[in-house]
Formats: sequence, structure tokens, C-alpha cells
Amino acid sequence: MSIDSGITWRNPLFVWGGKRDVEELPTIPFRSHQEVWEGTRRSATKLNVVGRLRYYYKWPGHGGTMWNRLRYWPTRRRVLRLRGEYNPKTLRAEKTIVDKRPIWWILGLLALAIAPLFTPGDLQNTLLTAGATFGIYAAISLCWMLIMGTAGVFSLATYAVVGTAAFVTALLAVKFALPWWLLPPIGALVGLVFGGIIALPATRLDGFYYALLTLGLNELCRVYFVTSKEFGSANGGLYGAATYIPEDWSQLGQLLLAYYACFGLMLLALLLYRFVNGRRLGRILRMAPEKREAFAEATGVNFRQARVWVFLISSAALGFIGGFYTSNFGGVAFSIFNFDTVLLGLAMLVIGGVGRAEGAVVGTLIVVFFDQVLNTWGPARFMIIGLIMLLVVLYLRNGLFGIKAQFRAWRDKKKSERRSTRAEKGGEILPEEATETEDKSVIYQRRHDKMTRDHLKTLVSPEIIEEHRHSLNGQHSEALERLLIYFRTRPQVEKYAIMAVERFEGYRIVALSGHRGVAPRVVEDRIYATPDEACHGVFMRRVQDLLES
Amino acid sequence: MTPVRLFGYTDRISVKPGETIQFHVSAEGTDTAEAQLVRLIHGDQNPSGPGFVEEEVACTANGRWRVERQFTQVGSFLEVDDPEARLAFTNSFTLFAFVHPTWPASGKRQTIIGRWDGDRKQGYGIGIDEKGYLQFWSGRGEEIERLTATVPLQVQMWYFVAVTFDAETRRTTLHQVGVGNRYNGLLGKVALVDYESRSSATFRSMPGNLASTPFLMAGSRSRDAQQRACVSELYWGKIDRCGAFGQALQSAELDTIRSELVPTMDSLVAYWDTSAGYTDRGIGDVVVDVGRYKLNARGYNRPVRGQTGWNWDGFTDCFRLAPQEFGGIEFHADALTDCNWKATETVVLPHGLKSGCYAMRLRSGWGKSVSEEHVVFFVRPRRPRARIAFLFPTLTYLAFANERLSFDHPEREALTGQSAVLSDIDIEMYMRNDFGLSTYDMHADGNGVCYSSYHRPVMNMRPRYRMPSLDVASGLAADLSIIAWLDHSGFEYEVLTDEDLHRDGSEALSPYACVISGSRPEYYTEQMLDATEDYIAGGGRYIYAGGNGFNATAGIRDGEPWIMECRRRDDGYKPWVSRYGEHYMATDGMRGGPWKVLGRATQKLVGIGLSSSGGGRSELYRRMPDSYHRTVSWITKGVDGEIIGDAGLANDGAAGLALDYYDRALGTPPHTKIIASSGGHTDSYVVNQQLVLYSYLGLYGSYDWRVHADMTYFTAPHGGAVFACGSVAFAQSLPINNFRNNASRVLGNVVEAFAGAGRLPGFAWVNEEKQWA
Repeated sequence: MSIDSGITWRNPLFVWGGKRDVEELPTIPFRSHQEVWEGTRRSATKLNVVGRLRYYYKWPGHGGTMWNRLRYWPTRRRVLRLRGEYNPKTLRAEKTIVDKRPIWWILGLLALAIAPLFTPGDLQNTLLTAGATFGIYAAISLCWMLIMGTAGVFSLATYAVVGTAAFVTALLAVKFALPWWLLPPIGALVGLVFGGIIALPATRLDGFYYALLTLGLNELCRVYFVTSKEFGSANGGLYGAATYIPEDWSQLGQLLLAYYACFGLMLLALLLYRFVNGRRLGRILRMAPEKREAFAEATGVNFRQARVWVFLISSAALGFIGGFYTSNFGGVAFSIFNFDTVLLGLAMLVIGGVGRAEGAVVGTLIVVFFDQVLNTWGPARFMIIGLIMLLVVLYLRNGLFGIKAQFRAWRDKKKSERRSTRAEKGGEILPEEATETEDKSVIYQRRHDKMTRDHLKTLVSPEIIEEHRHSLNGQHSEALERLLIYFRTRPQVEKYAIMAVERFEGYRIVALSGHRGVAPRVVEDRIYATPDEACHGVFMRRVQDLLES
Repeated sequence: MTPVRLFGYTDRISVKPGETIQFHVSAEGTDTAEAQLVRLIHGDQNPSGPGFVEEEVACTANGRWRVERQFTQVGSFLEVDDPEARLAFTNSFTLFAFVHPTWPASGKRQTIIGRWDGDRKQGYGIGIDEKGYLQFWSGRGEEIERLTATVPLQVQMWYFVAVTFDAETRRTTLHQVGVGNRYNGLLGKVALVDYESRSSATFRSMPGNLASTPFLMAGSRSRDAQQRACVSELYWGKIDRCGAFGQALQSAELDTIRSELVPTMDSLVAYWDTSAGYTDRGIGDVVVDVGRYKLNARGYNRPVRGQTGWNWDGFTDCFRLAPQEFGGIEFHADALTDCNWKATETVVLPHGLKSGCYAMRLRSGWGKSVSEEHVVFFVRPRRPRARIAFLFPTLTYLAFANERLSFDHPEREALTGQSAVLSDIDIEMYMRNDFGLSTYDMHADGNGVCYSSYHRPVMNMRPRYRMPSLDVASGLAADLSIIAWLDHSGFEYEVLTDEDLHRDGSEALSPYACVISGSRPEYYTEQMLDATEDYIAGGGRYIYAGGNGFNATAGIRDGEPWIMECRRRDDGYKPWVSRYGEHYMATDGMRGGPWKVLGRATQKLVGIGLSSSGGGRSELYRRMPDSYHRTVSWITKGVDGEIIGDAGLANDGAAGLALDYYDRALGTPPHTKIIASSGGHTDSYVVNQQLVLYSYLGLYGSYDWRVHADMTYFTAPHGGAVFACGSVAFAQSLPINNFRNNASRVLGNVVEAFAGAGRLPGFAWVNEEKQWA
């Protein structure tokens, strides 16, 4: 619209004779704000029905009755982490189990404990042997998880530590006829020494190089043990050490004893994992995640020391497992140093998901199942393990146990993608957004705001802008007053204001934060000579924002 | 490098020459400051006026001061006086309280009551966790054991909460029961919320007991970065009656306490009856323990007392009528009524000091980064000598002290009709949380601030300060325009403050023939209003040199003039409103809100009262026909033409910001004459809400006749008189054209006549007119 539309606004205050008042100004034709309201009869997008049925049970609140909160003796930890809340749809008090892992653990461990009772007769031998192997490997995986996950050290020397401890204890047991119960503690000592030696480069070398180094170490061990006579280079391993399995027991009895002993070993490893990862050391290391070590160090977190501690503790534990290995099998074979052992062990960690105990245990279970139970399949089973590992690495961000979080992130991504295609910027709230809006009046405010803006956009014209420039604080025409009233009543967040750089000399435009303690943001570099010029600058910015919305 | 900052306040703001005054200064980025006593003459730096004018005054304290950064404890709480450590339980115990959280899910831990040292992890406490759940915790220095309720606390609802601890079995129980009724909370019965929660657990150990830990309500002991003891984990909300037992009570016994019976068991260690000790004329800061050990609690940063309690049933609206229902004490973690800084200097003022507005000017830093602070105070005469007194409306300065309207109130721009113009100091004050809020602000939980104090730096009581939302000099800076005018006109005058008027009553005014008010003397206590009325009725001559005066009630407690109280009611402009039942001031029992509602409209006292307020543009006055009457024509003597005040430092006119008008229906004395009136105000000026019964389209400047200012005059008994200027902006039109203008002329005529001995000019022209024309 042009300046000479011929329509004028007559200033009601002109008759008072104010020195700054003009008699009349060109303006725009009147347009009712109700046009927008009347013209809007349906939403621009289809409005979907929302709401979700509850198909699972939620514990109701029970305000009147006393609820005794149990804890794991002797810690102060509650048995289950629960959250009491009011259902936002009904206001009913409800309880949600925030962390269901204790339940899954108890069920899983119970299943493992009673599994031997349900093994089919013909498979008993295979399954119980596999079960025992699983127990030992799970314990190894848990300790390895401490090194890889908690300490963040990419060490591949785990089986080297276990094997060395196993061979040394086997040798000692054979030479000095040591009783079986001495072997694990001796193994722990060996592990500690071994761990101490390889911990030194760990503080110096980074990721990939350290992995190479430890892999080389593993190979070195293999070559050493395979070629040295004392360790039985002739017969593929060293056997004849004392074992805790009484020879006079029936085969089933022996198998069961081995199964439960290995199960016990795994429980010990779990306890160790809990104590290292869930307490001080683990917390320190979680404060120094990868790529943010420098920041953690600057804030006083001694993560290097914590790493070495975790490394040493795990190495001792791995040595212990090595000793146990010897006393379980009565000796040890060179295959423990094999590269495929290392790779299978790595597969156990990766499939389950690095950084969590359940990942180590379930990953081990899967790999051992394929390796030991399906041994009739021959080499194909390694292909399957390889395939699973490949798929996990390709498609999962953090193993099987990361699926939930990954799925949620993916769903959220899809949700926001779909919403952004449906929603209009600054437009009305969609039904699915409304479910997330606690204060429902916000929904109406958005509608009112949208309608108002749709009308106000039609009022912006050169006449109105010229009128404002001429008379910032005077009496205004209907159209300009409408715009100004809208601008003035906006919420404080990002509302424009003027800042005096130097009183009576320079002013600039800022945007308020709306939050106590947060300074206004400078929105442009321009300096205005007077508050009036800055005020018109604010108006122009507001008009521009209105037209862009 | 830390930028150099200096902030200060004085222990008193009204002093006499020869008296001592303490300066409390906190400095950042420096350890010395140059001090210079100055007399403030003009503040507003608007280029149309004389600019900033101060006069250096010789004083022994001038020179280099050693300054340091001082610690401010923010937040209100109660500290129990327990010298024998009876609350350091070594055996079983029970704690209970009635609470009304106003911001449970604040994201920070809050302590309701307890003897807890969060820094040393020793003691016990009952409070609210980060997510808004009731929680009991205890510690012995290593780990903290916690027991949390099963449902979150609902905002603004009353609860009975209790914890029992059995020393033998270490069984702990935590009880939370809703005690809301139809009146006392946010939600009614129709909102089906189960407020109840009961949980128990077996703790591993007894709480520890450090001798240094105080038993606090609404906060707990902690240490700041410098390892100084402070109070943190502050509570947002109300606490009603609470107490402690030396045994683990059973559920039934807790139910008895909840049924409003005063517990009488032998094991009672303390029972704080929060409603004990109320008087009709106010409530003190001591919360009484009615148990046998008298472990009274003392308020810090003045917790708000006399608030509706858990058992308030809505029938009475005042703590005077049923004190037992008004036991609520309200706490805010951002409350501040006293910075409690160490005194930096104690200064004996020179004996020959002329009465006026003074400041200790502190400077530090070099070049552009120099930091300057004026610590303002007022010097009364040793003995009144002059005929004219100027009364600084310090109570109104207090009401506005450190306001953040431009930042926090979305309505502010609509109210003033213009964008805020902020200064560095405004932004700095908005960023800091250690200088408190004004009675125009809300606490962070959304409740209004009802106490303001000058025992803290008040950055808008500085000579050059401009109110950002109006972009004009306001308060002290505006009133200095009258001081500069008095100085320039050669009148001999002395100054007083609201504090003196409140304390001394009409005796503070009676030595003077003429008293001039400030430009916005808005907040008045009953004593001040009475004193002003008595002064005028007793023959005093009063110049009401502003607008929006005598409008709002305020309370000052005897002996503590640095804290003013303000409650806000349904009628009248208000940035927030007190909840029903909480309109009565805890300091003096008066009902808060506008004086008009209490039968004392401003018109009754000075002839005119608030008609409208706004911003953006000020208008001029036109003479009214009555000004030609010989009884008053002397007022406009020498005025050229009919226009008065067509320029000014406040939006270029004498009639602006707030306008007062003549209204017989509100008590304007019947013989009042209107000398001049303004008109043609823009639509930013809206009719005062108090005058409006219905809201309708057209209550704005260009539509409604009431939107204007009247300049009036009436004579009072015994030779007294009142001249009222009619608008806040009037004072700021005086300095225009080097004080040579019509507004200055009119005021000069009045002051000269009022200060003169004998009868007022025009007294004789009182007969009925018998005119030919």
C-alpha cells in the first residue's frame, strides 16, 4: 500500500494544542481483527487423535499404609529404586520402578542356579560343561569390562594375564604338589605382578597403540609358553595340577560341582564389578569420560590414578580366575593364548554392550552357547558369532543392552521430524504437543497469539512505520496502537529493550533474558544517538519479527 | 582482573550534624577507596537541566578508606537459641511441622527444620529434595542416609509432616499428611490428590551431633567458598507450628498432634507455637517455644509472620481476630532485610553541616574503569531554624529500592507505554542476588516481596539514577530537582525524612512554617499521615509538590526504621497482591493496601488524589478560571499567559508520570480552588483502577476526563494552607531554562507566601461576589 491511499487519521489530541501533535496523518483502511477469527474454521493440518492405553500394571499409591523401605544389608542402598508420582491424566498416586535391573538380575541368576535341574538327559554333559565354561568366561569378561568400560583402557592382554596365571599356578602345583585352594590366590599374585608391568605403558600410550602392544604381549606369551619345555610344549598344555573336584564322585556330581563353583566365581566377579564400578573409583572415572579427560583433570579429578587402580584390581582378579581355571581343569592348554580366544572374548563384550555388567554376562552367554553347545555345527558357528558381532557393530550403538536407549532416541528423532512437517512455526499447538503441555492455558495463548499476529501482519504499512517514526510516544492511530499494544504485552523472554551505552550519547538494542541473573543479550552492534531513535529501531525489529513469524 | 566495584550503605539515613554514622562498604577488585563527603544538589543529567551538581564538604573522614569484599547472607530463616544443645539428640526423637511449600520442585535441596551441617554431613534434617519430595536425612560425617516420601509435595498446599527415629532399632518413619481445607490451599477437594505418604526404613546409624551446628528452621548450616559459616538449603514456603520430642512417637500420637491439640507429653523437647505472642499492633521476630526449655527461635532477614496457617478456615481475614489460625511464617530463599556487613568506617559528622542531602562519595580505579558510589544519607538540623522544610519521601524510596520491574514484569512496558532504557547498573543488579528486592518485585517463587530495607546498597537511591521503565530520573534523583530549585531560589530550608516524621509525629513538622513534600510521597504509615493532617490542621502550610502521594499504607516497626513493610490489596495499582487473610501488616497490625479504601483518600488531606498514571509523554497545565480570583491570583503572579510547565526533565512537561485530581466525592475540602489543570494526555494514561468500578473501553487519556492533573489550593484552620502541584513530573519542570519558567514562578510565589510571617495573601477577598457583568 502506498502513502497516498487517501485515508487519514485525525489526531484527537490536536485540539489541545500540544506542540508535537499533528492534525492528521495518512493511514490504512480499517480491518477488523475478527476477520481472522471468522476466516479460520479448520486447522491447517490434520489433527490426530492421541492417547495411549495402559497395558501393563502400575502400582497404585497407598498413602495411608506404612511402606517399609528395605535396603541391601549392610549398605544404605534400597532394594529397588522407585518413583512415586501423580498420574498427570488422573491425579492418581502411582509408583514406578525406575530401575528394573535388580529384578532382571535376580530372575536371571535364579534361572542359572536352577538350570541344571532342567537339563535334558542327553545334553546334560554338554550343557553342564558349557555352563561351567560360561561361569569362568563370564568372570573374565566382567573383569575385562572393568578395564575397557570403567577404566577405559583398551587392553587385549586379558587372556595373557589369565593364561600366565594359569600356567604359573599349574607349574607350581605340579612341581610342589600344592593343594587346589592355594592356586587362585597365587594366581592373583601373578596377575597383580603382570598387571603392574603392563599398567606402566597404559598411562603413556593411547588407545590403538596400547591395543597393539597388548596384543603383541599376548602373542609373546603364547610363543613363550608353547616353546618352553617346563610348560609342556610337547603335549599341548600343562596338566596334572590339583583340582577341587573329588575324583571319587560320579560324573554328574563332578559336573554339577564344577558348574556351581564356576557360577560362584561369576558371582564373585559381579560383586567385584559392583564394588569397583559402582563406588568411588567408578564415579571418578565416569566424571572423566573419553575426550573430556582434560576438563576433569582441571577440576581436580585424578582419573589417571583411578585408572591404574582399576587396572591393577582387575588384573589381580584375572590372575585369581587363572588360578581357579587351573584348579578347575587340573591344568591349562595353550589355546588360552590363541588369537581366536581373544577375539571370542572381545565378541562377548561387544555383543552385550561395553560398560555394563549385564552386557558382559549376556554377551558371554551367547558366545559360549554358540561355541560350546552348538559345537556340532563345526566352524559355521564362528561365522555366526562373527555375523552377530558384525551386525551389532554395524547397527547398535552400544550392544544389545543399548537397544532401549537407541530405540528411544530414534523414536524421538522420528517424532520431532514428523512434528516439524506438521507444525507451523508460531502456530497452534498440535494434539500431540498438547499432551506435553502441563499448563493448558499456554495452548490457548498460542492460538490467540497466532490469530492476533495474522491480523497485525495486515496492518504493517509504510504509513504506520512513518507515523511511529514521527510520534513515538504521542497519540497513535488505531492500527499503530494495535501493533504497539501487542508488542508491549509480549512475555519478557527475548523482549527487546534499550541499553544506554553512555547516557544521552549512545544507545543500543538488547533482548531481555526473562530469567533472573541472566543479562540481556546484545542483538546488534548499531549505536543510536538518542533513546527515540533506538525506540524506533526496536519497533522496526519487532515489525520484522512479526512479518517473519 | 575483577572490575572495580564499590557498594555501600549507612546504618542510619537521617542524622544530625555532630552525630556518628556508620558506613558499611563492600568492594570488589580493590582494597582502598577515596572517600569524600559531598552535598547533593542536583542529580538528573538530562541536558535540558543543570546536570549533576554536588558540593564537596570538608570532613575528617575524607581520604583513603580500607575496604574489603563483604559476605551477605541472603534468605530468611529462624535460628533456635539452644545453648544446652537439647536438640542434639543422642536418643530417640520425633520432629513434626505443618508446612506449606511454595516452590517444592525448585531443583535445589531445602531444609524445613533440622540440626544439620551440610558441609560436614553431620546431624539431621527434614526437608525437600531436588525433585520436590519430602525427605528426612541424617549423617555422621561420612555418608548421608535418606528416607523419602512416596509422592511429591504439591505446591501451595498444607501438610503435616513428621519423622520419628527409634535409637534402639534405628527404625525411622516419615509421615506426610495433607491438611488442606476449603480455604487454605491452592487446590480444592475436587482435585483428587492423595497427599498422604508414610514410609519407614532402618537406618544404619544415629545422626551425628556437632556442637557448632545450630537448629534452624527453613535453612541449614553450610560453608561458602571461603569456608565461612553460612546458611543454605533455604526453604520456600510457610511453616506453621512445629516441635520436637525426645522419643519416637506412635502414629496415633502423631494423629493427636495433627488434630490441633497442643502436645503435652513429658518427652516434649520443644513446641514452637508460631502464633504465640501476637499483639494487635504487630508481631516480633521471636518465635516462642511454649515447651519447658523455652528454646525460642529468632528470625533472620525477617521471615513474614502473621500469615494464614494450616488451620485457617477463611472466616476471619486478620491475625488480630483469631491469632491461632494465623501461625504461618513465610520464608523465601531470596529475602534480604539486612546485609549485616561489618562497619567500614564510623564517621563523626562536622558540627557546622548545613541540613540537606549528603553522600559519601567513594571512588576507586583508574581512567575509564573508575567506580564511583554515592552512599546517600540525609542531615537534619541540630535544632530547626529555617522556616521551610523539605521532606524526603524515604519510605517511598524504600518501597522501590532495587526494583527490577523492567526485567521481570511483562506488563511494565504496557503500563508505561515505552521500551525500557537500561543502564549498566540495572543489568548488574539484575545479575546479582545479594542486594535484595523491592516491594514491587516478586520472590522467585512468585510471591510478593513485602519487606524492603536500607541496610543494603540501594542503587536507585543514587543522585543520577534513572528509572529504566520510564527513562526519567525518579525518586531521590527527581526530588533533588526541588533541592536544586530551593538552593537556586535562595530560600533557607532544612530537610527531614519520612523516618523522622514517623517517629516524631507532627512535632517533626511544627517548627516549620512551610513544608514541601517530595515528588512522589506515595507510601505513608498511619503515624505519618496523622502527623501531616495535624500539622496542616494546626496552621501548617503544606506544599504537595508531586503526585501519587499519601496513597499506599506502609508499616515501620519501632526501633527498626530501616525496614518498611508493604502489603498489597485488591484495589489500586499493584505489582502483586497479598493472599486473602494476609493483608494486615505484621509490623503494626494495620490493613495494607491503598489509604483510600480505609477512608483516607488523598483528597481529604491535600485536596487532590491519584487520577491516572502512564508514561512516554508529559503535558502542560492551563490556568483555570478560579486562578483569577483574588484569593489565589497571587499564586500565578508573574506568569506570562495561561500556560504553566510546558517543558520539563520528565518527558518534557510538568503534568506527567502520575496525575492527581480534585474529587469532592473523595473528600476534597469544599473551598478548594483549582489553579490550573492539564489535559490532552495520550492513551498511555489510564484512569486509576481505584476510581473504576467496571473496566470498559475508553478509560484512557484521550477519552476519559478524569485523566488529568489539577493544581489546587485551599486554606486550612489557624492560618494553614495546602498547595498541591498535581503531578509527579512537576518537580522536574522546575530546572528548565535555568530555573526561569512558569512552573518555577508559581512554586516560588507559593513558597514565598507560605514561608512569610503573618496571614496569607488573598485572605480578605472572601465576600460573596455581586457582579455587574
